[in-house]
Amino acid sequence: MDEARRHWGQTVLSLLGLILGTGSIVTVLALFGGQTALTEQFLNEVGGRGTIIVSDRDRSAHPGARELASKRLTFRDAQYLRDRAGALAAVSPGWAQQLPYRVGNTSFDGQVIGTVPDYMAINDIKPLVGRYLSDLDVRQQARVAVLGWKYADSLFGAATRALGQLVSIGGKHYTVVGVLEREEFYFAAWEDNALEYRNERAYIPISTAIAQHSAIDHLDFLTLKARPGVGAGVAQAQVRSLLYARHGVEDFDIRGSGQGAGGEAGQFLLLFNFIFLVVGVVSLITGGIVIANILLASVVERVREFGTRMALGATGGAIFAHVLAEVLVVTVMGGLLGLGLGTALTGVVAHFMQMPAVVSPFIAAVSSVTALSVGLIAGLFPALRAARLSPVEALRYA
Amino acid sequence: MPALIDLIQARALAKTYRLGQVDVAALRGVDVDVGAGEFIAITGPSGSGKSTLMHILGCLDTPTSGSYRLDGEDVSGLSGKRLAQVRNRKVGFVFQTFNLMPRLTVEENVALPLKYRGGVPRGERRTRALRLLERLGLASRVGHRPDELSGGERQRVAIARALVGEPAILMADEPTGNLDSQSGAEVLRTFAELHAAGHTIVLVTHDPTVAARAERVIQMSDGRVV
Repeated sequence: MDEARRHWGQTVLSLLGLILGTGSIVTVLALFGGQTALTEQFLNEVGGRGTIIVSDRDRSAHPGARELASKRLTFRDAQYLRDRAGALAAVSPGWAQQLPYRVGNTSFDGQVIGTVPDYMAINDIKPLVGRYLSDLDVRQQARVAVLGWKYADSLFGAATRALGQLVSIGGKHYTVVGVLEREEFYFAAWEDNALEYRNERAYIPISTAIAQHSAIDHLDFLTLKARPGVGAGVAQAQVRSLLYARHGVEDFDIRGSGQGAGGEAGQFLLLFNFIFLVVGVVSLITGGIVIANILLASVVERVREFGTRMALGATGGAIFAHVLAEVLVVTVMGGLLGLGLGTALTGVVAHFMQMPAVVSPFIAAVSSVTALSVGLIAGLFPALRAARLSPVEALRYA
Repeated sequence: MPALIDLIQARALAKTYRLGQVDVAALRGVDVDVGAGEFIAITGPSGSGKSTLMHILGCLDTPTSGSYRLDGEDVSGLSGKRLAQVRNRKVGFVFQTFNLMPRLTVEENVALPLKYRGGVPRGERRTRALRLLERLGLASRVGHRPDELSGGERQRVAIARALVGEPAILMADEPTGNLDSQSGAEVLRTFAELHAAGHTIVLVTHDPTVAARAERVIQMSDGRVV
């Protein structure tokens, strides 16, 4: 420990690997933690973790008999899940199609979702003005539409002006009974609005959608909500086995709402984190080797000192403990400096990339323990070397 | 004649080193008796085996054959760990090059053997170190580091360190070898005083004038006592 105090500069230099490694790991964990928190927040925006989406899978190129026999996703499936799937709190059938929109001279193709009132609660949709679809709309196959904020805005000049107006969707006229709130979520400052797709669609009663635009009892997706306290995995497994029993073939895909969330920012961050983690681990290993070497050199330099200590009555164990204690002091220093560096680096990255990242006590603990283990492993061999010296040879060592 | 109580009783000590393919005999059957309170010099030319003998007598090394009883205990077959404990309790070493810890203070250096003994509280280690330093005229140097002391002072610090554990025997290997004549005389005077106070001293030297200060001289040559 006096060793370290004496050669500050040299010690810090030799600790560089350890400092960089620890710093890297701290930064990765902090960014990763920030991103995880952001993803969690995003999931809450779109209805929480318990949301499950079952979508119709395209028929394979050479369908087998079972696949041909399957009626695919139907209203009966929705009813069946409502009756049988105990893990579910809500089931909402869905229909989706690209159709032309037109008001006056403004027209474009866009997404239309046919659905039921439950869908609003499951997806946490909030009307800005007017109302959402009602059970009565579905029962009466009413020609009513609820517009996403962006479509209402571009078709009528201002979102609130759309209420009560007529809009042509797929050649049929619909009365706008509600306009939804504008939804926004940004994973990173440079990224597009991750919720923009929810502003660019209209919702119509599913009964109307099928009667007016497809005329067959076929659904494109089911939106399900797991009961509170039921794990998404458990609910997904139950839905999978129930639907499989009805279809006789897996002609559907099931995913949780969290899967695929995060968009490009998530992809980028994953790569970014991976690189940092590799850098961190490599630096730590290199740092460990450098420290082991320096300690070994310092043991050789001090062979006579260890010989003297042995002559005074130090056992091999005492020498071992002595060297390891020195390693400990040096490594704790390296770990703390690395933690400081990592915290600073996290601040810089978070600031320039506009990403949330916090060095939590947990991260500090994990990185410190990592640094300490690397140091101790690196110190083990030199300490053993010193402990196994023969007193006579050590004293004679020039 | 040996004194009534034998501190050291070594019989037919032999030590053989293996140098590559050849066995080199450093000791070829040595008998040594040292009584409590004696002041002995082991002397002889380099290569005569005097250092090897001191290492074995000081429990730094074990003989290839022969028996050795130190203070009534047979130590010729002890493990490395037990030997370290014996050195700590029964032997005090003084080296030619002082071998003080450069980063520790004078007081910390002197207290070091008590630290290795274990079970001696810090306060007691301190008082015992201070008492010895005072006795050796080093009270004003307590907080200094070794490189701030003269050669003679350093060697007296080393003597204090050798004595702090109240060992049965004090072993000095060429203690004046690195000192000027005045400091050397000072250190020898200290040994004489310690002898007068009842300490048992074994001193290894090739210098006949230093050896002459001892009560009895063991002359070594070619691994044997002559």
